Formats: sequence, structure tokens, C-alpha cells
Amino acid sequence: MKILVYLKQVPHQDARLDVSGDGTWIKEENIKFEINSYDSYALEEALKIKDQDATSEVIVVSAGPERVVQALRQALGMGADRAIHVRDDSVDATDALGLAKTLANVAKAEKPDVIFMGFMSDDGNFAAIAPMVAELFGVPHATAVIALTRNGDTFIAERELEGGNLEVVELKAPCLIAVQTGINQVRYASLKGIMQAKKKPVDPKSAGDLGVAGQLAAKVAIEKIYVPAKSATAEILQGSADEIAEKLVAKIKELGLL
Amino acid sequence: MGNILVITELQRGKIREASYELLSFAKKIAAAKGHSVCSVVLGKDVAAEAEAFAKRSGGPVYTVANPVLENYNVDAYCTAIQAAVDKAKPELILVSHTPSGWDFAPRIAARLDAGFVSDCFNIDATGDLVFVRRVFGGKMDARVAVKSTPVVATFQPGATEACQDSAAGSVEALDVAIDAGALRTKFVEVKAPQAKGVDLTKAEIIVSGGRALGGADKFKEVIEPLAEALGGVVGASRPVVDAGWLPHERQVGSTGQVVSPKLYIAAGISGAIQHVVGMKGAQFIVAINKDPDAPIFEVASLGVVGDLFEIVPALTKAIKAAKG
Ligand SMILES: Cc1cc2nc3c(=O)[nH]c(=O)nc-3n(C[C@H](O)[C@H](O)[C@H](O)COP(=O)(O)OP(=O)(O)OC[C@H]3O[C@@H](n4cnc5c(N)ncnc54)[C@H](O)[C@@H]3O)c2cc1C
Ligand SMILES: Nc1ncnc2c1ncn2[C@@H]1O[C@H](COP(=O)(O)O)[C@@H](O)[C@H]1O
Repeated sequence: MKILVYLKQVPHQDARLDVSGDGTWIKEENIKFEINSYDSYALEEALKIKDQDATSEVIVVSAGPERVVQALRQALGMGADRAIHVRDDSVDATDALGLAKTLANVAKAEKPDVIFMGFMSDDGNFAAIAPMVAELFGVPHATAVIALTRNGDTFIAERELEGGNLEVVELKAPCLIAVQTGINQVRYASLKGIMQAKKKPVDPKSAGDLGVAGQLAAKVAIEKIYVPAKSATAEILQGSADEIAEKLVAKIKELGLL
Repeated sequence: MGNILVITELQRGKIREASYELLSFAKKIAAAKGHSVCSVVLGKDVAAEAEAFAKRSGGPVYTVANPVLENYNVDAYCTAIQAAVDKAKPELILVSHTPSGWDFAPRIAARLDAGFVSDCFNIDATGDLVFVRRVFGGKMDARVAVKSTPVVATFQPGATEACQDSAAGSVEALDVAIDAGALRTKFVEVKAPQAKGVDLTKAEIIVSGGRALGGADKFKEVIEPLAEALGGVVGASRPVVDAGWLPHERQVGSTGQVVSPKLYIAAGISGAIQHVVGMKGAQFIVAINKDPDAPIFEVASLGVVGDLFEIVPALTKAIKAAKG
């Protein structure tokens, strides 16, 4: 199978977030980045297919500035065969639809049997790109997939619903699967893998290469991000750990739970 | 001037509360912008529910009735919604951010070459229309401006009051052909949750740990002793379960268990909405987090800004001492 995995590099989940000068995003200087949590699971699903069928090819694709090469290299170290780096300021500046058009054109050029994506990005929390890419590439999709089995070119996907219910759907390749976290246990890159990754190709592509130049005007745009104003009434306990513990014990006694 | 199309959602044959919430948002925008509100109800049997929705919506309610719409199916839904869009020619399409809504809404946006904003919890229609939504798992909010229409927007269930207006609207059935054989994603079944070994919903005291714990061993070392000292049970946020530190039966939240203990202690949990919906019903909530801006403090009754690896063991010790 030919497998495409889209992955986004996002600020590390423990990074301190400060609003950028223009107020529309965060300051990217001096923070660590990592592969979007959902996308590590997406990559693992792809690598599991390659484990079973060594003739499979896994291509990882990421759009973003120079720093995303590091995420692509990490994916190559884990076992992906080659990488495509969509590197264009106009892509970075567009909205979900513009990005989806760009990423769908990568799929149109590569013609994969299956595309794995994350359900959602940890930074923007859009949950937008996967169904859009599926629509624009013209294939069926499933989101929030928490279990997946494959029989030839047929996939049985379990979608997570509310209240612990699971919706089981069947779809045939070519198709797109947007995975939920926890679908598998993600592997680590081996030392050997990291060494081999250095020789694997990372192809840069521009909006022009992908035929979307001039088509990326954003239809929606973030005008401002901010730390939400506090509406909380919570009392915040102060003091040393032992003092705080004493106050908590007093409270728990007051609740009649001790 | 323009139209707003509300896509309603049926759950076990009834229109969800979330759809009436969408109607509230639609009416607020319509009032500010001079728009009209229309709606669509899709499903197997829709007539009675469409009548009920029309009584509150005022505007036209289109219906698409078809046996293939009994269960959610992305292809069938997109075909049905496309018919309502052709009819209403909306500037704005509102959808609930539910497992079906988040599955088809971006697809519809791409099909219509429309802008898309997801999981909004508020709008600001005082000037140019702005959607308000969370980013970074709730650590920040974002105001998203509309640059060109149409736009598809999804809304978090529970973000506003359900519309209670009484306003006479009309129901119009749309004739839509849906070829069941052409559906590319096939519905197989809905699996109900399996019985859990641990029933968190019955616990009086829950001590939950989050991603900050860093490993299964830390749960044993830090969280379990506190739960034990209090005679409570251990819970967790999703990343803990995803990483395999604890089994799924321990997960609290929208895709875990919804709990309502007398005391809920959240240590190293940020307070993402999907976690909060599972525990906000607790009578007393203690949040321990080193980030003073963590959203968990918004639902806490008592907060501790500090390192859980210091606070939790100190608390365990103090409780043991208090019990004598
Ligand atoms: C469809 C869907 C369903 C979901 N369902 C659920 C669900 O059922 N339950 C659920 O929990 N999540 C669910 N999630 C995930 C949810 O969005 C969050 O990602 C998750 O709740 C975050 O878990 P966390 O708070 O443990 O981790 P994080 O958000 O990473 O927070 C860790 C926190 O620990 C704090 N911290 C770090 N170190 C320390 C320390 N030493 N002492 C004190 N504090 C520290 C940090 O300040 C931070 O606030 C769902 C998501 C989606 C999209
Ligand atoms: N810049 C990007 N490059 C590659 N893939 C992306 C990018 N942004 C989002 N994706 C993919 O789209 C999924 C959903 O992200 P989003 O719709 O932005 O929440 C992610 O999990 C990735 O698989």
C-alpha cells in the first residue's frame, strides 16, 4: 500500500505560551516544538501496515516553516520512507480550507491508497483538515477513529462517539482515516532508524509546485488570541506544601469526608 | 438580508438540545445582521420533530426524510445538506460540534468552497461577525473574523441556552434522492460501552491525575496513596489512558465516565473542556496545577497553584496524621 501521513509540528505541550506582538498567535521564539500528539498515532497506524507488508511505502507530509523538517526527520527515523515539506509563507498564512487545498494536491500528485491524519491539532484545535482533504481528494473518510482493522483494501474503523459508544464503519481504499489519540502505542525511533533517516529524502514543495499559488486567500482569520478572563470563584490556597495540606485537610473534614 | 442555515441533529429520533442552542446563536446573529434563519432536519422520520423545531425557529424548516439517514452516514448527510444549501443559499451554516457534526461540517465547507470555523462557544455580532473559540486545549481563546462568506461554523454543545421562543414557522419537505448503493462509508453498527471493572460514577471521592504525572509508576507513588488515604478511587485524564498508564475505565470525561463525587481532586490536569464535562458535577473540586492560568481553576472550588509532586504527598501525609 502507498500511505500518506500528514503531520503537523506544534508547540510542545509543556511550552510556555506568550502572545505574539501582533496578537494573532503565540511567540515561536525560544519554545520547543513536537509532532502533534494525534499525528504520532496516525504515523504509527501507517507504520503498522508497513510492518505487515514491507512493500508498503509511507510518505510523511508537513506544511510549515523550516523547523518542521525536524518533525519530518523524526518520522523518517521511526520508519517512514520519505518526506514532503510544504514550505511556503502563503500556505502558513492561509486558513483551514487553504491548507486543505494545498495538502489535497499533494495527495492528487502522490495517489496514495490510504491517508492517515490526526483528528485535531493540539495548537489550533481545528479538527478541520482531515474531512476537507478527503472531500477535495475525492475519497471517503472517518474521524475520531479509535480502532482500525484492515482486510486487503477494506478498512473497518471504530469512531468514538459520546458516552462510550463506538460507531463502526466500513470504507474501502482509497480513503482517509483521522485518528484519535490512544488508538495504538506509538513506537520510538531507534538509533539505527535515526541514522538511516539522514539518508532519506525530504522534498520541499512550494504553493506553485502544488498548483495552489494565488488560491490561498483566507476566508476566516484569527484577529486576536488571549488568555481567557477569569470568571472563577475558586479560593487559591497559599503557603508551604505542609500548610496547604493542613488547610485541605480542614476543608475535607468540613465536608464530612474525613 | 442573507440566510443562516441551522443543521439540526436527531438523537434517538429527537432533535438534540444542541440544535436549539444553535438556533439561539442563529437568532442572535440574524437580529444583529438582518439575516433570516432557516433550518434543516434530516433523518428517517422527521415530520413531528420538524414541526416542533419550526414552532421555535419561526423561519422555514426543510426536511429530508430517507431510511438511509436513520444512522449517521457522511455521504448521505452531505447529499441531504447540499439540497438544503441549494434551497436556502445561506451565508452562514451552523452545525453542532458533535461526532457527526465534526465529521461532515468540514467536508461540506470544502464542497462549498466556504470558510470554516470549528468548536465555537460564542459569537460577537456587534461589528463584523466574530466567532470565539478555544485554542491550545483551552489555555487561550481566539476571536476569528469572517473575511468572506459563505462560512460553516460548528458550536460546542452546551455553549449557550437552548432557544425557547414560540414563533410560527413552516415545514417544507425536500425531495432528495440518496443512492444507498453509492455510499462510500458504510455504517455497520453502534457498539454500546462495555461494563467497567471500576464504576467511577458511584465513587464519593475521586483523585485524578493528568499527563503531568509522566508515567504509571508516578500514579502508584503519588496518586494512589492519596486515594487510599481518603478511601477514594483513582481517576485520570485521557492522555494517561492513551499512554497505557491506566486502563480506560479510569478515564473521566466526554469519552470516559461522567462522575459526580462529593470530592474530586484533579492533580496535573489542565481542564480541557472534554475533561471538565466529565467532572464538573462534583460537589467539591480541588485543583492542583503549577500553571495559575490553567482552565481547571475555572471549575475548581479550591485551587492550589503548585507542584503536585510536593503538594500531593504532603496532603497524603496530613490525611494519614488526621486519621490518627
Ligand atoms: C473528541 C475528544 C474527546 C476527548 N475526551 C476526553 C476525555 O474523556 N477525558 C479527558 O481527560 N480528555 C479528553 N480529551 C482530551 C482533552 O482535550 C485534553 O487533551 C486532555 O484532557 C488533557 O489532559 P491533561 O490535562 O492530563 O494534560 P495537559 O492538558 O497536558 O495538562 C497537564 C497539566 O499539568 C500541569 N502540570 C505539569 N506539571 C505539573 C506539576 N509538576 N504539578 C502540577 N501541575 C503540573 C500543567 O500546567 C498542565 O495544566 C478528548 C479530546 C477530544 C478531541
Ligand atoms: N501544517 C500541517 N501540515 C501537515 N498536516 C497538517 C497540518 N495541519 C494540520 N494537519 C493535519 O490535519 C490534522 C487535523 O488538524 P487540524 O484540522 O488543524 O486540527 C492534523 O492532525 C494533521 O494530521
